[in-house]
Amino acid sequence: MASDFTQQIRQKAIELLENGTVECVIGYETGSDGIGARPAFIYDAAEADRLVFDNTCTHNLVKYLLNKKGKSTAVVVKGCDSRALNLLLNEKQIERDKAFVIGVVCPGIVEWGWNKRSQRLQKRCDWCRQHTPVVSDFMVGDPVTEQPPAAFADIVEAEAKTAEERASFWQQHAERCIRCYACRQACPGCYCTDCFAESLDPEWVGIRIAPAESQMWNTIRAFHLAGRCISCNECERVCPVKLPLSLLNRKLEQKVLELFDYKAGMSEDAPAPLITFKKDEKLGIAE
Amino acid sequence: MTKTLSKNELESWLANILKERTLVAPRRVDDLTLFLPVHSTDEIAFDCSNTDLSPKDWFFPRTEALFTAEHKDDDIEITPAVIEQETVIFGIRPCDAKGIAILDGPYLGDPADSLWAQHRAKTTMIGLSCSTPAPQCFCTSMGGAPYDSSSVDILLTEVDDGYAVETVTEKGETLIQGVELKESDVSGSVPSCDAQVPAEGIAEAVKKAFDDPYWGRLADRCLHCNMCAYVCPTCYCFDIRDRTEGGKIERLRTWESCQSKGFTKIAGGHDPRADKGSRLRQRFCHKLLYFPEQFGPLGCVGCGRCVVSCPVNIDIREIISDIQELGAKVGEGSN
Repeated sequence: MASDFTQQIRQKAIELLENGTVECVIGYETGSDGIGARPAFIYDAAEADRLVFDNTCTHNLVKYLLNKKGKSTAVVVKGCDSRALNLLLNEKQIERDKAFVIGVVCPGIVEWGWNKRSQRLQKRCDWCRQHTPVVSDFMVGDPVTEQPPAAFADIVEAEAKTAEERASFWQQHAERCIRCYACRQACPGCYCTDCFAESLDPEWVGIRIAPAESQMWNTIRAFHLAGRCISCNECERVCPVKLPLSLLNRKLEQKVLELFDYKAGMSEDAPAPLITFKKDEKLGIAE
Repeated sequence: MTKTLSKNELESWLANILKERTLVAPRRVDDLTLFLPVHSTDEIAFDCSNTDLSPKDWFFPRTEALFTAEHKDDDIEITPAVIEQETVIFGIRPCDAKGIAILDGPYLGDPADSLWAQHRAKTTMIGLSCSTPAPQCFCTSMGGAPYDSSSVDILLTEVDDGYAVETVTEKGETLIQGVELKESDVSGSVPSCDAQVPAEGIAEAVKKAFDDPYWGRLADRCLHCNMCAYVCPTCYCFDIRDRTEGGKIERLRTWESCQSKGFTKIAGGHDPRADKGSRLRQRFCHKLLYFPEQFGPLGCVGCGRCVVSCPVNIDIREIISDIQELGAKVGEGSN
């Protein structure tokens, strides 16, 4: 018997496809190992029974809306994912009236990988303060009261290190990076048609898959997400060599909150501070 | 009679090897297991399953200079790259070794790739049979076996009190010279890899399913990162670019993948594989149709790395099954 969340999502999908509100429902289905979820694209109401929702539904499906421009599409979002919708709406990448948002009050996602599943929640779910989607057209589950912001012990620990220790920490990780760009491809905030990392002229980052270039790549990507990262942590999850990318993202998130009192993706009409300019804005950080 | 080596004898043999050569073996780094140079046998993860990245880095490095060029007396001096270091890879699995061996097809054909040839000549592979194949493994379906010695120089198979040793090539003979092997009547349990992937006749099925909307639907899910290609022991595409530093030019070759946007973009901006579906199809057509047509074996050895690593579960085993079904349907339709 499918869970209540799964049932509600399936029913809504059938309704939306049958009445022609959308041409595709992007949700989750069970993957090839029979254990974990994977993204599913449902075009036909008869296939809606493939849809599931459980605590392995980790992927941020908002990313896929970028491939569905101009097409009416329904998407299943958790709390964190929903912030990506606002990010893309703020940045005029998607149209609100083309997206039907099936919001799911997130029960928390467990650590899992292909053919293995633990009962432990993912790290990002410990930090998460957005279980209830901030935008939805149909809500699955009852909204919950969110906890106060989490303290990031690993950032405190990283900052307690000397500059040399930190440099060596990142150097060691950069040696592992294979520049497969999975972090970028999974990230809803990375949608440039021509990414700086692959630009030939100017060549911002050299072609080598080597520590210097990898550090450059990961650092610039993190900066491009300053005030834009919505903490879904998909970049870190998909990394095949397990780079601790969210250390950078969360540090920048903290900084943006402190400097601009801003959290990405919380509303549809509040673009990121670093891509806006106000006439009376103070210029320069050192005053 | 089987020739055997105890665990201690193996370790002292490896310790001797690393005095003279670079010894590359599976090593644990944080939560990963990777083929890396080791400085002492203590660093070797003897009990690991398939490493997270394939050992192809040691034959086809992620980045490698083909040659360097610099100005010398009003002329340009070009220095081709030369591989001098002798390397021994310990603990390579039969599937990974086969992945390297089948790349001799594209890389040693005429004209041979000089760097590939040098890496092959300078590297000796001590293989390790898989006593417990991982759940994602499907080597037997792709023409391999957990104890296949055909692509290594020496194959070790775990037995009760050490390892059974099979010396396969002359290079292997040379490496093991001087090591005293015991004669024993033990035989290693013959491991099996139970996964059944219907790869028989897959090339024909891929041809039939070439124009099926299947690929487009599958590409809906694919993120089009390069991960599957980079973890794969048999993906061998590369990009080439020059890099200048201090008046010296290096012509670099780096890993590249047919999944990345612009991989086939040509001068003038045209891209014959601009849509995601045809990019994804290319990966499977290359492995299951073009590679066997050109070089004989399938371009997949069943190591299962892409199955485990793919963040959105693009599973080659499932795709092979689907394509067989689609191919069969097309076959029926044409009759």
